[in-house]
Amino acid sequence: MTPKVDIEAMRRTNERFEPFCEMISVVPDEDHEFTFSAKDNLCAKGFQARAGSRILEGYRPPFDATPIWKMRAAGGLLLGKTNMDEFGFGTFSTNSGYGIPKNPFDPTRACGGSSGGAACAAALLPGHVALGVSTGGSISCPSSFCGVIGMTPTYGRVSRYGLIDYGNSLDKVGLISRSISDIERFLPVISGSDPKDPTSCCQPRLDLSKVRKGPMAVPKECLEGLTPDVARTFDDAVQTLKEGGTEVDVVSMPSLKYAMPAYYVLATTEASTNLARYCGMRFGVAEREYAQHFNDFFSKTRSESFGDEAKRRILLGTFCRMVGFRDKYYLKALSVRQGITKEYLDVFKDHSMVLSPTMPFIAPKFDEIASMRPLEMYSADFLTIPPNLTGLPHISLPCGYHSGMPIGMQAVAPHWEEGTLIDLGKRWGTTFAYKVPEACQ
Amino acid sequence: MRIGLEVHLQLPTRSKLFCSCPTNGDAPNTSVCPTCLGLPGSKPVLNRKALELGIMIAKFLDCRINDRIWFSRKTYFYPDLPKHFQITQYESPVGNDGHYEHEGKRIGIWRVHIEEDPGRIKRVGRSGEEVSLIDYNRSGIPLVEIVTAPDLESPEQARAFIDQLVTELRYLVGINVQDETSVRVDANLSIGEERVEVKNVQGLKNLERALRYEATRQTKVLDAGKRIVRETRRYDEERKITLPAREKEFEEDYGYIGEPDLGEYHIGQWARETVLKETPFARAERMSAELDIPRQTARQVVLTSGSLADLLEKLCKEVPSEKALQWLLGPISSNWGALEKVIDADGGACVIDIVKADASGSITDSEAKIRLQKCAGVKSEGTPACASNPDMISMVNSFLDAHPEVVKDLRNNAKAANSVIGHVMKETKGQYSSKDIVECVKKEISKRV
Ligand SMILES: [Zn+2]
Repeated sequence: MTPKVDIEAMRRTNERFEPFCEMISVVPDEDHEFTFSAKDNLCAKGFQARAGSRILEGYRPPFDATPIWKMRAAGGLLLGKTNMDEFGFGTFSTNSGYGIPKNPFDPTRACGGSSGGAACAAALLPGHVALGVSTGGSISCPSSFCGVIGMTPTYGRVSRYGLIDYGNSLDKVGLISRSISDIERFLPVISGSDPKDPTSCCQPRLDLSKVRKGPMAVPKECLEGLTPDVARTFDDAVQTLKEGGTEVDVVSMPSLKYAMPAYYVLATTEASTNLARYCGMRFGVAEREYAQHFNDFFSKTRSESFGDEAKRRILLGTFCRMVGFRDKYYLKALSVRQGITKEYLDVFKDHSMVLSPTMPFIAPKFDEIASMRPLEMYSADFLTIPPNLTGLPHISLPCGYHSGMPIGMQAVAPHWEEGTLIDLGKRWGTTFAYKVPEACQ
Repeated sequence: MRIGLEVHLQLPTRSKLFCSCPTNGDAPNTSVCPTCLGLPGSKPVLNRKALELGIMIAKFLDCRINDRIWFSRKTYFYPDLPKHFQITQYESPVGNDGHYEHEGKRIGIWRVHIEEDPGRIKRVGRSGEEVSLIDYNRSGIPLVEIVTAPDLESPEQARAFIDQLVTELRYLVGINVQDETSVRVDANLSIGEERVEVKNVQGLKNLERALRYEATRQTKVLDAGKRIVRETRRYDEERKITLPAREKEFEEDYGYIGEPDLGEYHIGQWARETVLKETPFARAERMSAELDIPRQTARQVVLTSGSLADLLEKLCKEVPSEKALQWLLGPISSNWGALEKVIDADGGACVIDIVKADASGSITDSEAKIRLQKCAGVKSEGTPACASNPDMISMVNSFLDAHPEVVKDLRNNAKAANSVIGHVMKETKGQYSSKDIVECVKKEISKRV
């Protein structure tokens, strides 16, 4: 039972929408049961792993990331590596060294990021499941913009072995697909403790039959700063849920507004140490001029090969961990994270999930993005950052369309309770009509 | 003079600190993997054995063990450091606030932590055309760093302290310092108010030299009425002087953050349940006090062999310690090669009986010695009588044949026999007592007269 892979069709799709930065060129002889793709920051034998960065040009990892290894072992054929913002640094997948994925519903608009290529592939390829990665919302955001379902499991649920680090205490491997049944099928495949990643080793067993009952909570802080179309669409979705018998309460979560600054401090601080290893000496781009001081050698490669956003985050992160600023920013951010987690746990005492729109606006056009300032881009993530900062599992589901563009809603569940989210996705699917992009009809 | 030390020693584990690569890699870059090469996507996994050894060392140095510990990233750029950060410990090391008794002086131990070693840079090629090669076999080797308070008072004492510490740790956890140059030390020394750091000194000999040089230099500065500048220096092994560190790497801000891939470890319970072996210097101190024997003698015995020290403790329960030492340092030591196995097997019963009999006067000195040899399996047959020792007889005779002048002298001077005795003792490696040899020589000479 080997699903047919149409390489020619894939190539045509990729020429138009650029979900992949690297693709298979021939279908291998071996049988497979399903096809999948992986975000380019997941290492896979047989492919380069460049994480959207020029500095990793030509790097071929000698090992499979655990989630890829597990998908292959379950009968998956890896079709290719999907495009992304360099090291995950971005909201629109426009910060890639290897082309920019185009929105499946309108190629003049962005896919979102940083797993833009993954969401794009999931929307366009039939029966496709994409491995995505989220640090601050990189699964939810592109899923919302591309009209697909994005599942970000609890931090530590899926091994990070073989995932090229952005912020190690925040990075999570998850799934993007058009269908909730694919998410339900593959989440158990990629989950589980892995001795190669100690942070995956304290998880309780994944039990999707465990579904939390009770009303959903909508934080009023998440209803501010939305475009009218998103606000209205989300309102309609809440109405539909209520009509279906789900109670929905509006609650207050005042600490959520601190999530964004805390996230950027922690994520960039960790990133600035993770990115120190890229220097043109051991892997990736190779600097050939050895007769210079190592500082000059490293600086030359790093200046030439990192993109602007990577440089900005390295500077920001390095600043935050220097003596004199460390207490003020890094240690403060750690305590803010604990405060927000506590606020979520309080809400979960009498609510099953926390619900909000996923993104405050629909997928923007590329020319709109070009005129956005970094801070504006960072603020776009204010709804996806809180669950990511606290390591809570969350799902983004398409909940409506405006001007033909999809709008998503995001549900957040308590730690390790992914079953509650999948149950919501299944219930939602019975009442909501998903649209498929014209491009693949 | 006040000297403080930061001593780095390799922990004796089979695999590296954060991966399963063997620690005994031989050919360059053969004992490496994605983790110790810092390849993108690799993750560290802590080697429990290294942590266990770290706990033992911290406990031995009487440190307060931190119940909750974690690792930190120390970020700096250097070609031998694959990730460009070293995984070490910063806020919460394995142990703090310990101390160690060295020659009756209490040396404060500020902290004990574990960390990974970077790779090794090797300069090769002719002068002027040198290139650097990097061997990552060292990368990820587990180290323990021991930081002392500035309680040492001289360069000699600093060296002796590390020497003794290394001996203790060899017994305690099997730390293996193959040559003294493999010990890496950062030292600080102050004569006046300001302290000067001398970083990265390789080997104990160099440490002592560097500190001596630094002490002299600071004294001269002060004598000239000038002030000591607080600074970091390095030791130039060729010129045997310390120089201001040119690289500003030493003043760098490492921007420590917690290592997010490893999380926290709760080690309080583990540490409480860890039982330490008694180390040689501690044992010597105890034996010296309990058995009322000189400290130096106790150390000599303990450092020779643990079972020799065991035997001494047993003997002292049966006979006065003076008698026990007399036997232990005399005949027992000289037959130790053969006796050790016997004693390991019978717990020393055979030897103890002999010494007891000797102490009670129930056997003669020479009888006791024969029995000891018998016990050791040396010359198990016969008596020491010259007649029954054909080897000795022939040895004595061939010596007398070769040295007719000795035969002549002997007729007038008994002391001339000393040369024969010396010869036989040397040839037989002390198998026979001088008394036996003298008897035999007398007998053989008398035959010739
Ligand atoms: Zn290794």
